[in-house]
Amino acid sequence: MDKAGSPSRLPGRSSGLAVLAALVCAAPILAVAWIALTRDSGDYLQHLAQTRLPVYLTTSALVALVAGGGAGLIGTTLGWLIARTDFPGRKTLSWVLILPLAVPAYVAAYAWLDLSQAGGPLDAVTDGLFPTIRGGVGAGLMFALVLYPYVYLLARDTFASQSADAYNAARTLGAGPLTAFWRTSLPMARPAVAAGLALVAMESLADYGTVSHLGAPTLSIGLIRAWSGAGSLVDAARLSLVLVFIALVVFGLERAQRSRARSVNASGRHKPAPRLALNGGPALAAMAACLTPLLLGMIIPLGRLVWLAAHTETATGLAAASLHSLTLAGITALIAAALGLATAYSLRSRTTIATLAARAAGLGYAVPGAVAAVGVIAILSGTQALIDPAWRALTGEVFPILLTGTGAALVFAYLSRFAAAAISPSETALARITPSLDGAARTLGATRRRRVWHIHWPLIAAGVTSAGLLVFVEVLKELPATMILRPFNYDTLAIIAHNFASDERLGEAAMPSLLIPLVALLPMIFVARYLSRQDR
Amino acid sequence: MADTRTVLSIRGAERRYRADHAALAGADLDLHAGRITALLGPSGSGKSTLLRAIAGLERLEAGSICLGGTCWNDTATHVAPEARRVGMVFQDYALFPHMTALANVAFGLTGPDKTTRAQAQLEAAELGHRAKAYPHELSGGEQQRVALARALAPQPSVVLLDEPFSGLDRRLRAELRERTIDTLRTAGTTALIVTHDAEEAMAVADQLALMDGGRIIQTGPPDDVWMSPVSATAARLLGDVEIIESQVTDGQAKTPFGPVDANGFDDGQPVSVLIRPRAFTLSLDPDGPCTITRRRSAGPHLTHRFASEIGEWTAQTPAPSPIREGDRVSVELDPAYVRVVAA
Repeated sequence: MDKAGSPSRLPGRSSGLAVLAALVCAAPILAVAWIALTRDSGDYLQHLAQTRLPVYLTTSALVALVAGGGAGLIGTTLGWLIARTDFPGRKTLSWVLILPLAVPAYVAAYAWLDLSQAGGPLDAVTDGLFPTIRGGVGAGLMFALVLYPYVYLLARDTFASQSADAYNAARTLGAGPLTAFWRTSLPMARPAVAAGLALVAMESLADYGTVSHLGAPTLSIGLIRAWSGAGSLVDAARLSLVLVFIALVVFGLERAQRSRARSVNASGRHKPAPRLALNGGPALAAMAACLTPLLLGMIIPLGRLVWLAAHTETATGLAAASLHSLTLAGITALIAAALGLATAYSLRSRTTIATLAARAAGLGYAVPGAVAAVGVIAILSGTQALIDPAWRALTGEVFPILLTGTGAALVFAYLSRFAAAAISPSETALARITPSLDGAARTLGATRRRRVWHIHWPLIAAGVTSAGLLVFVEVLKELPATMILRPFNYDTLAIIAHNFASDERLGEAAMPSLLIPLVALLPMIFVARYLSRQDR
Repeated sequence: MADTRTVLSIRGAERRYRADHAALAGADLDLHAGRITALLGPSGSGKSTLLRAIAGLERLEAGSICLGGTCWNDTATHVAPEARRVGMVFQDYALFPHMTALANVAFGLTGPDKTTRAQAQLEAAELGHRAKAYPHELSGGEQQRVALARALAPQPSVVLLDEPFSGLDRRLRAELRERTIDTLRTAGTTALIVTHDAEEAMAVADQLALMDGGRIIQTGPPDDVWMSPVSATAARLLGDVEIIESQVTDGQAKTPFGPVDANGFDDGQPVSVLIRPRAFTLSLDPDGPCTITRRRSAGPHLTHRFASEIGEWTAQTPAPSPIREGDRVSVELDPAYVRVVAA
């Protein structure tokens, strides 16, 4: 017996896993909301509202604005250059420009502050003219330099898929090349750019390492202080809600401006625009434009750290920390890829429950790591409190602290934040398998097993692998949730780097800071090349 | 057409997507051995649903689909598509993008010699030299030929083609159509081609089936169906037609252009008189009852729109014609292109 639906509907049977993914992603934020709204808080929050909260809010806004502005400018320009022009090195740059995502913003910040602070090499060479990279503007610039690939990727793909028709129509209506670009190509790319900007803003707001090193007190600093300083779960939860609220506003704005606009031509026919061939001066300018963010975001900061590392004795414990980082990132990536694939599969069934589950899982991406960590603590300590009395009654002993003190709690928090990132690559990959492809295989006698292994898997393997690797890199870079949830004496590379850096021992921070982008680089190259494939 | 053995028979096929909308509302159709049937209907008439139901990609709520003595669909059974061995050419071709043309064609084959057989199939489609090409490296026409080769390779009992020539430009379309027909004839395959293009349907078919509202409303050889549509809807599906409502008196139906034979309908019965534009013969006549309101050239013929006090109609007349806009004309009917059906 076989089940067949309407032509556009595909059999998808992994709804159970999709619901699990949704629960994992949404549970922490729901727990945070529950605690923030139902429990009484101490005086801390009131005190905070009267003193630091306005500063947290304005700094957050400044950081997000500078980050968004910078990333928007860099990402849109590079996206257009790569998609619509041709110059030597364009094909390689197309994916190389994505690589700064492998560099955590706080690593760039360590190097840039060290280079530009009073007495640093840049300060000395320019005789004090080079401004010190610090504060809200400095932090925003760091985010722009390493997060612009989000905007670049979306802008590039949009510019590349834009039909030449709209631009040509504008030309026939009397617009010059620049006017036509400004009035047709750019507005058509706006939704994609806005989606990229929303991601950049979110990542900046969720960051802890960069803003704490550069002295830009954003909300996440307040959040971590509420937890680690005042030790108040309720206060942390309330600040989390503020942060999540801002995140939802950011994403809401992005959706709202996208709602009516269509950036793709409705006819479905697609005649790609010819590339503008650049030669001589313009070609050099284009190359310079592409190399500048690479230099500033990756090569210079990593170069400085290499120099620092070479001039400092390497700290102990790096091998263990590397192992911890790799283990956590590896486990999370595998689970996230599986959950993402399952969710994408169940989305194909187009049932209400699958769609709801996928959307709920997607919510996780709007939840900063620190918030996810607070939520996980709330859930696990709640569970502990539930089990404890029963355990005591049975054994006469206190229930061992299994939940909050283990790596499992960390993986839970990572998943709730990053599993969403694994859904959409799988969804995109699965979208290549049209219902008629399934139908064709079936009419040719292929069983379900053969369809999955010979049609589906070869078509989605690279996409699913990319999704997993992306999560791997994100977990490797993650700091705030790790700080809150890590088991006692369980250091990761990010933790060691942060601890040394905040002790002003930058020489010792250099090696762990370098190891993160080095480990992240290979997976990132795979992801970048996958995302830049022509026939994707 | 010696062999008219029925290969596949569909009876009372029903399928609804929503409670109020039936995609198939009791469709009956027979496919005959080695013959090409064209299924013609407007979009939304249920053509593709019927095709998908035959392939097993769609489940019927009522009715049966039987191949010879084996029923694929009836109230109790639904044979899975992979067990039916039906060949299908999809509208978007559905070539597997990660496989070469050869691997695509070999997909439905089994046995040690499957690559050889697939290669032979490609050679037959004159695509032997493109065996190693991936779908995105093939032109639209080549993709269609690979899709057809893939569907034919396992020697299916029936081949289904869903709008196989849409999405191609006009010239290529005609060429590919001839090629496809030749291929199907050479293979001696029973085929069902879905199309919404009347000209195409008549050009390819041994048997034409007209579909509307989820039902097959008429079947027969294309010429017969064209000359003797059973209803106004059937007539409209095959081309422009003027419809004049009338009543039978003395074995004849009255029209503004004179009476026509009532085709056996009883006196007093309301009927529709279906008139093809080419049935009208216009002649210049200063005292004629009609005036030309529009004249358009269309290559080998012209269309004249003409009006009297009681209505306006369109005639198709051979080019060249001296009749201009504003001329007065008298009108005669050629009974060969007139048909009386129940109103």
